[in-house]
Amino acid sequence: MNTPVRSRITAAFTDAGTTGSLCATDIDTGAAITLGADTPVSTASVHKLCLVATLYREAAAGRIDPTTPLDIPAGGRAPGPTGLAVMRDAARLSLRDLASLAIAVSDNAAADVLWDHLGLDTVNATMKALGLTRTIAVHNQAGLYATMVTDTGRSGPAALVDPAAVARLTVLDPTRTNRSTPRDMAALLAAIWRDEVCEGPWADELRAVLGVQAWSHRLASGFPFDDVHVSGKTGTLPTLRHEAGVVEYPDGGRYAVAVFTRAASTAATLPAADAAIGRAARIAVDALRAGT
Amino acid sequence: MDLLLHLRYFRTVAEEEHFGRAAERLRVAQPSLSQRIQRLERELGVRLLDRGRTGATLTPAGRLVLAEADTLLDAADRLRTLVGRVQGGAAGTLRAAVPPQLGGATVAALLTAYRERSPGGELDLRELDTADQTAELTAGTLDAGIVRHPCPTTGLGFGPQLHQPLGALLADQDPLAAHPEIDVRELDGRELVLFPRAGAPALHDETLTACARHGCTPSAVREVAGIEFTRALILSGTQVVALLPRPAPEPGTTWRPLRANPLTWRTSTAWPAGRDGPAVRLFTEAAHDVLRETAGLVPTAPQRRLFPRPASEFPL
Repeated sequence: MNTPVRSRITAAFTDAGTTGSLCATDIDTGAAITLGADTPVSTASVHKLCLVATLYREAAAGRIDPTTPLDIPAGGRAPGPTGLAVMRDAARLSLRDLASLAIAVSDNAAADVLWDHLGLDTVNATMKALGLTRTIAVHNQAGLYATMVTDTGRSGPAALVDPAAVARLTVLDPTRTNRSTPRDMAALLAAIWRDEVCEGPWADELRAVLGVQAWSHRLASGFPFDDVHVSGKTGTLPTLRHEAGVVEYPDGGRYAVAVFTRAASTAATLPAADAAIGRAARIAVDALRAGT
Repeated sequence: MDLLLHLRYFRTVAEEEHFGRAAERLRVAQPSLSQRIQRLERELGVRLLDRGRTGATLTPAGRLVLAEADTLLDAADRLRTLVGRVQGGAAGTLRAAVPPQLGGATVAALLTAYRERSPGGELDLRELDTADQTAELTAGTLDAGIVRHPCPTTGLGFGPQLHQPLGALLADQDPLAAHPEIDVRELDGRELVLFPRAGAPALHDETLTACARHGCTPSAVREVAGIEFTRALILSGTQVVALLPRPAPEPGTTWRPLRANPLTWRTSTAWPAGRDGPAVRLFTEAAHDVLRETAGLVPTAPQRRLFPRPASEFPL
């Protein structure tokens, strides 16, 4: 009667002028709906999930105190459109509040304070320990954006909507930037929700932090239901729009979903492409809930 | 020029196909009628009627104008009736309304129940969709109604909310019709028949969102007002299903409840705020009883735990 799930997911991407890959898993049964789930993707800010998960894993292991306050000078912050990256004065924030900012508004400056405090190696080692061997960070936020400036030369922001310039961006090449796979990102979220990254109050707090993201135009847009809880983290680069998150229904059903898209258009604003992430995710979650 | 008057004259000539007979019907002199039609033709810049020996026939332009004239004249009549209701407000008559798809038995029971409570009181009851009811309650042409939520609430008072469970109306031979109840998820990908959105936009959207919430995303939504047309669509397609409260049984189609009642229409009485006099109170009491006893509405739906999202911008 129904079009196969994967065709409907592909159609959701195609209709929005994008290509996409997806991994949706039932956190409790392990059942999965996949589409290109093992193809490496450039993670962009989705990698902040790995960063924040590592902070809480280190905290639970007693190696770090996430309440530790850090001084953040006014200068030398990673660039970005939100949070500390746009604030003008020196600040003092705890590690876990920096994590909240990195998730809530994808604050690059806050994320880089954490990246520098924890170290790329610690985050990569944590992913490896969790069995997520295809998830690797090679630069912090500032390092990532620096490659874009190098790749586009002096042409400034206009280059980021110029198809020829976008084609030269190494951050779009998963072999040369922070990377993962849809399956790895869904597995990380499932592990967080199954208390396998950390346990007890730290695990509860980590999940709460992952629920504070302000945007609702991607994953959450597919679940416009007041009694359904959506947590997640977006990632965006020229032509790339991603989100990985968890959708929890009141009947106890909980699903980890990672959606990665690439648009043909280089326009910075593509609401249809954002919404396609939610549509694709809901098709997958509905299929998991129907047990088909 | 009094356009409405001229259109009314034109319509009469068109109906009679004869100036003499039309003049007689309108009780005006024939030359005066002819002048008026000529004036209308000049005003509109087209010839409306071909005058022959035996009578007057419509030109193509005349046929177009006639169709539009009907719409305009009907609207003008409605306007006068409405204004008449406001001015008149006939003492002892309560102007009330019920929403579509409430069922004939419920309407009959409501009329009876009101008469029992208010001997000598007249109930002027109409069927109006929620959008029209809220507009008329606000405008003062309706004293009380039964509305479906969510609806605009400014300036209105409401009685307690009741829930009307929705079910699926299917063709008898539809495999799902063999089951005593249906999981709404089983309707995923079907073509869905639902009441027209304009009649209650927020409820239409909420119903489709609730479908999606329970795993049913229709392949298409058909907006249909009448039960007859709804049944015809169900019987003519293989994938068509209608969502509606239990209708009166009719051979060919089968209504099945949805497991655990995931879809309900919140329904309550409504009146202009501060205007719940004795007649309105009698109506709302009668309506509440009838909705529960005859229409099978239930007082409460299970409480849901809500998860407001950061984008909502307010704490809860």
